[in-house]
Amino acid sequence: MRTITRRALLRSGLAWCAATPWLKPLRADADTDAGQPAPQMAPGVTDTEIVLGMSAAFSGPSRGLGIELYRGATAYFDHVNEQGGIAGRNVILKTYDDGYQPAPSVRNTLKLMLQDQVFLLFGYVGTPTVTRVLPMLKKFQDRNFFLFFPFTGAQPQREPPYGDFAFNLRSSYRQETAGLVDNFVRINRKRIAVFYQADAYGRSGWAGVRRALKHYGRQIAGEATYRRGTKFTASMRRQVEILKASQPEAVICIGSYAACAAFVRDAVNLGLQVPIANLSFVGSENLLKLLTHWALTEERGNSEQYTRFLVNSQVVPSYEEASMPAIQEYRDLMRRYNPQPPIELLKEPYLPSEHSFVSLEGFIDAKLMVEILRRLGDRPERSQLQQAVFTVQDFDLGIDERASFGPDRRQGLQQVYYTVVDEGRFVLLDNWEDRFA
Amino acid sequence: MKIQKLFQKTLFGVFSLFGLISLSTSVLCIYTVDTHLSEEYESNSKDIAKTIADSSVDILLNRDLSALQSLIDQFVEIQSIRYIYITDEEGEFVAHTFVPGVPEEIRTGDRNNTVTVERSLPGMGDFVEVGSPILAGVAGTVHVGMDTDLIALKIQRAIGRQVYLISIILVVGVLAAIWFVNLAAKPLGDLLAYAVALARGPDNGADDTLLARDDEVGQLARLFLYFSEGVQAEGEQRVSSGNDG
Repeated sequence: MRTITRRALLRSGLAWCAATPWLKPLRADADTDAGQPAPQMAPGVTDTEIVLGMSAAFSGPSRGLGIELYRGATAYFDHVNEQGGIAGRNVILKTYDDGYQPAPSVRNTLKLMLQDQVFLLFGYVGTPTVTRVLPMLKKFQDRNFFLFFPFTGAQPQREPPYGDFAFNLRSSYRQETAGLVDNFVRINRKRIAVFYQADAYGRSGWAGVRRALKHYGRQIAGEATYRRGTKFTASMRRQVEILKASQPEAVICIGSYAACAAFVRDAVNLGLQVPIANLSFVGSENLLKLLTHWALTEERGNSEQYTRFLVNSQVVPSYEEASMPAIQEYRDLMRRYNPQPPIELLKEPYLPSEHSFVSLEGFIDAKLMVEILRRLGDRPERSQLQQAVFTVQDFDLGIDERASFGPDRRQGLQQVYYTVVDEGRFVLLDNWEDRFA
Repeated sequence: MKIQKLFQKTLFGVFSLFGLISLSTSVLCIYTVDTHLSEEYESNSKDIAKTIADSSVDILLNRDLSALQSLIDQFVEIQSIRYIYITDEEGEFVAHTFVPGVPEEIRTGDRNNTVTVERSLPGMGDFVEVGSPILAGVAGTVHVGMDTDLIALKIQRAIGRQVYLISIILVVGVLAAIWFVNLAAKPLGDLLAYAVALARGPDNGADDTLLARDDEVGQLARLFLYFSEGVQAEGEQRVSSGNDG
């Protein structure tokens, strides 16, 4: 008869302990000892975390957009995490830098979807990047990947065939440009020229202006382009000359802050004294910073001459409107957490803005994102995301407009605000006639 | 002197031959590369224009123009494609890749023409432009500009590589020719020196190692020695006959 020694028992016990962790995944569908189904988390969700993926510009001439959007969102996520998270889970933002270039954004998205296995994609920046990513969402639609609240007002993520894979919070470029054209026409500035980025973003805004002018039986008076990634130091003299030749009464810029600031600088220097409008994507505070700094360093005197003709459309209220609960909360949390950009992604120094329209947009995006994640309950599933978004009806974000979503409404907010520079900061424009007529 | 001339003639022959080879192959190379590359680029550009035209129908009719711009931006990343523009049925530019704007020559030209044309655009370079109609032309046209400077650059590179190869062969050929001529000329020089030494008479310091050679030079050296000894013996005989007489 074979006897079981203490040493053999010990050896068997150790072997069992070693094997157990490996057996766990195999037993995921099996009943536990208590007879209950083993909990199986959705990708990107653990007992302690929900991981969201973000690819944005953290380097290059448009880095201010990605960084500010991240800072605003992080301020709110940090606050939620400090309060105990969502059903005990912290919201983690996994970030990659795409430099506002399409190819890296596609690579980053693949990494986020397949390697990092994030729960959803959040806060992407830019039209040329997002338009390339959308087909990937369709490709992996069986995994229920959704893109939430990209920082772009372009149409491709708002209409078929990719509209079903993204949820937008901000107003569209079509709405922004239509509003600008309506107001310019109203104050009798009907010859409108367009300065735009030579890519999908620029074309989206250009198409919006064209469409709005068509409504009044008019055409774009003149147009000039620049390459994505153009720096503030570049000359825009040629572009100004082209537009000047068309004798515009107003110019609408569809670009990012570095190139648009360079255009405004050269336009003023070359005597193009007409209102110059920028869309929300421009990054108003960074544009103002460049113009102000340039005016001071070049001893051009007061920067007012470069900013008095500016009118920037925004898709969030002014961060000066502290009477709105969300704005007050934004200001408090930005002050309390003062979020910094991911250090590993920073290739060059960046001086963050205390407040900005872009970080406010990131903050409001994060606020609604948290609400949607809460509505998923204790066991978040990707497959339930769309339904959870559709339950958002007349939701009070704490601003002057309520957000609603539905199968035929994949954009939460509709309002556009117009701002001008007054005493070195952007304030709401209340009277177009007085300012530009 | 004769050897020097032989040497010069050999070098001249080598240079002439390589010059002829270089010239003929370069001309052939330019012709072949230019013809083939031009045909290939034009064919590829036509294919790209047709692909864009086919893809554009749905976008033009149903979607935002930013999708169309995104499409052409991807194609313009292809080497040699320098610009793309799309006009609608009314000839309006609905998407293009020009910076800082559409060139005057294109703006004022026939935008619905899809025939291949050569263009020289100020500040941009020389191009071959191909076109393709969208939906048989009722929805607009696609135009693709191919950079001919790039073809010229490729020809230059191809010829440069060929000239480089021929130059190496030329240098090796010249060095080989010099070595062979020297190889042939040295024994002749030794033979000449040996003959001169023999002519100076006995105890002349002639290099007798030549006599050991079994080639033509050795045979000639032995022949010179034979004649030299004969002449010397005949001379001694004459001297002794004179003394006797």
